[in-house]
Amino acid sequence: MESEKELLYLYCVVDQAPDLKEGRDWFDKPFFVQHQGLYAVVSRVSGSTFDEENLKKNLGDLEWVKIHVITHEQVIEDVMERACVVPFKFATLFKSEDSLKSMLAERAGMLKETLRRLQGHEEWGVKIYCDMSRLRAWLAQNAEILKIDSEIGSAAPGRSFILRKKKEARLDTFTTAKLNECGQASFDRLKTLSARTRINKLLPEEVTERKEDMILNAAFLIDKNKVKTFIETVGQLKAQQESNGLSFDCTGPWPPFNFCDFSEGTN
Amino acid sequence: MSSRDVVFESKEVTLLEILDRVLDKGVVISGDLVISVAEVDLVYIGLKALISSVETMERLRGAPFYGPMQEPN
Repeated sequence: MESEKELLYLYCVVDQAPDLKEGRDWFDKPFFVQHQGLYAVVSRVSGSTFDEENLKKNLGDLEWVKIHVITHEQVIEDVMERACVVPFKFATLFKSEDSLKSMLAERAGMLKETLRRLQGHEEWGVKIYCDMSRLRAWLAQNAEILKIDSEIGSAAPGRSFILRKKKEARLDTFTTAKLNECGQASFDRLKTLSARTRINKLLPEEVTERKEDMILNAAFLIDKNKVKTFIETVGQLKAQQESNGLSFDCTGPWPPFNFCDFSEGTN
Repeated sequence: MSSRDVVFESKEVTLLEILDRVLDKGVVISGDLVISVAEVDLVYIGLKALISSVETMERLRGAPFYGPMQEPN
């Protein structure tokens, strides 16, 4: 039966024989398949879990996805301790060792070029969040807003209503301008320390589970020698922007998931 | 650590950080050789439910902000 066939699950490709640890929870011990100086780190998985039909079914099971995604990340992180990696997307599956080798052969040039480019670099992620009510409260101290406030105090009810509307509209404008300014300035500063950057989609509150709004979601590829400076700079930005209601979330080093896109140029 | 005047914050990185990368980024290849995983995107629909199960992973994920904070020159 088709589903009883074994498949090869690909985690990442490296350019030296990787030192592989024991298998992580949900996959068999990883091993590597070598071809043309490239080493693909893989595990054998069962078609009854990962063939097209079963994979589709399993992807609907969030608990299953969670466990396997974490394992995928852990295996790559283990390899990353010793080598520069090109991480592959979750559930990249090959029908046989031969088909995997064909892929390596076909894409050897791009893979090697990517590995060369990533050598000596780390991916770090920076997310900036804004406490909007705090930022608005701070911006409400602006001279123009204070002037409107004093006008509201002495205005007749109808006029007061209009002035309040005007105040909110001005505050909206100031808030947007301030967010753009802070977000852009922070990003620009970190960019000067990075080899490459990528701005990702902002994630909604339901997903981040934070009260603050996400205003920047970016990934940075940084020369290992500059990582310390990069982190210090994030710390400085954090201190500078705190009074604006901004907070910074800096994580890393990650496998360079954001900087392995062959087809798409990033920034 | 203390001698270097560095404060390492042990960050709880949400599962989200990992999901966001592993499911959405990384090299994508297509063709007869591989099984298509375009359906992975569908998983995002259920992300909210997943995340709200309050799964955070305890890990030393950087965020070592150096202190005390200094204003840049």
